[in-house]
Amino acid sequence: MSTIETDATSEDAEVDAKALAHREMPKPPAVSGRFGRVVDALGRVVATFFLISTVIVLYEIVSRYVFGAPTRWAHETTTFLCAIGFLFGGLYALSHDKHIRVVLVYEAVPEAVRRWFDVVISTVGLIAVLFFAYAAWATVERSWFAAGSGQIKLETSGSAFDAPYPALVKGLLFVVVVAMAVQFVIHIVNTLRAARRARRDDA
Amino acid sequence: MEFEFFGSLRGLGIEWASALMLAMLIGLLVTGMPLAFVTLLVALFFALGWFGPMSVPLITSRIYSFVTSYVFVAVPMFVLMASILDRSGIARDLFDAMKLMGSRVRGALGVQTLFVAVMMAAMSGIIGGEVVLLGLLALPQMLRLGYDKSLAIGVCCAGGALGTMIPPSIVLIIYGLIANVSISELFTAAFTPGLMLATFYVLYVLVRARVQPHLAPLPTEEDRVSMSLPRLLVGLALPLGVIVVVLGSIYGGIASVTEAAGLGVVGVVLATLVRGELTLRMLLDAAIQTLSTCGMIVWIGIGASAIIGVYNLMGGNTFVEQLILGISDTPLVILLFMMLILLILGLFLDWVGVALLTMPIFVPIIETLGYNPVWFGVVFAMNMQVSFLSPPFGPAAFYLKSVAPPDISLGDIFSSLLPFIGLQIVALGFLIAFPGIALWPID
Repeated sequence: MSTIETDATSEDAEVDAKALAHREMPKPPAVSGRFGRVVDALGRVVATFFLISTVIVLYEIVSRYVFGAPTRWAHETTTFLCAIGFLFGGLYALSHDKHIRVVLVYEAVPEAVRRWFDVVISTVGLIAVLFFAYAAWATVERSWFAAGSGQIKLETSGSAFDAPYPALVKGLLFVVVVAMAVQFVIHIVNTLRAARRARRDDA
Repeated sequence: MEFEFFGSLRGLGIEWASALMLAMLIGLLVTGMPLAFVTLLVALFFALGWFGPMSVPLITSRIYSFVTSYVFVAVPMFVLMASILDRSGIARDLFDAMKLMGSRVRGALGVQTLFVAVMMAAMSGIIGGEVVLLGLLALPQMLRLGYDKSLAIGVCCAGGALGTMIPPSIVLIIYGLIANVSISELFTAAFTPGLMLATFYVLYVLVRARVQPHLAPLPTEEDRVSMSLPRLLVGLALPLGVIVVVLGSIYGGIASVTEAAGLGVVGVVLATLVRGELTLRMLLDAAIQTLSTCGMIVWIGIGASAIIGVYNLMGGNTFVEQLILGISDTPLVILLFMMLILLILGLFLDWVGVALLTMPIFVPIIETLGYNPVWFGVVFAMNMQVSFLSPPFGPAAFYLKSVAPPDISLGDIFSSLLPFIGLQIVALGFLIAFPGIALWPID
């Protein structure tokens, strides 16, 4: 193998790297607390699901065109893996303050006022996700438990492959929404603490 | 007597309920609360207040089908592809290779930048990475050569925004999902209008450089690199290969959009492997960026899909439809009115929000008026081009600011973008006046 050549190119790339290549994803802000760091670490695992999905898509194309044997599981499984990424990604974005918001007023007000904005935003956000957790639980009840008897019976996709993906995605939606509620509470507590510290420093 | 909240909002009637909904949305948004949670809260408030608890499963099932659609898998694939591309040196080599394009013409460097932007746009479906790349690669070179600051900034931002106009484009994928039209037809239809817009930019650069030569100085002897043909070919080969794989497999009908996106990721990974840039860490960083971007897009979608679901059930879509259809008997006037709404919303909201909030209501109106929904998708994508550049939130400006020299302020950037916004509106006008620009390949 042409190791030397490869080395030469990667050296080239390293000059570039400073500007472009290793743009690492930022860590969660301090206000997200230890919980935010856990979400960050889990995010590294969930992110690989997108890489795995790519491999599955490729595998499906190859088995269909080269071997003439389309799989029964590829479609459902990639959709399932990506759905996990989508749902968890919302929590990840919340912990990292990456959700789209309109900051026209928010950035114009002084820092002390902005802290109160943060408390209001997180409180209203908390109410929103609690509402949503209630809605998501109703779905979980129907997809995880048999009607009447109340025994565990996972809802399946009903296809030839018939995996319990629907039940798992619905369950995950509930878990993610509850985790969002926890993150909002932590935001509120940490913002209030920071506000108190700032007041004490002023005094 | 105890106050019963469930169902109590019904007493307002759809007119006042719509007004209350709009007021809540705006009131919560200006506090700086994320769009995804604002829409979610308002949706659930109205679901309970208008219908009561039995309407809640309807919202969650809408959300479930939104996150588990196979076509939607194309979105993370295209985002992943762009994230890997941004971390490779492919764009830099492409830019260097393009130096071969006549350096004796005034404005050539600007044209070269736009050319690279179009090539990158044909590999990438999102905005952000491209603007950053052009800001790092092209902006310093243009400034060093003595290009007018405004012209250089405008070329980078407007060129970078082309990523969502020229296929593949995530804006078109999301539109296709909402409007229930073929995404490959959307990709086919968007190609010519995307190139038309890019051509407008090129002509603008050439004309201004001609009329005001001091804006675009010619390169000095030392800047004039002697380029060899092999280097040009090598710089071009990898990107062209990736473009052919992705667009070729969609247009050729070999693969679905999702599969084409997967092939695109594989293509870009192979390209970085050939270039010796492929590392596990780079792949992981790109995947994490994908997680963050998709989490943001999907949750805006979740909130918007919830609120639109509730509003339609309340009869809101019929109400808005009658309101909009009532403003005129001429379809064109109604269409232009919708354009105005989209442009105004685009000033304040992200394109995902605009698409998910308005399209479920607008597309049926468009069909009632007898317009082609595929064409309208392209019109919408063109409209969102404006939203990427327009103050106060044009994302392209913020992306460029993050890599531009510190003496360039956000105000400088936005004022540089005004002529380009003008060109986008002209292109939008052409597209509305001559739908054939988009529809000729599919009719």
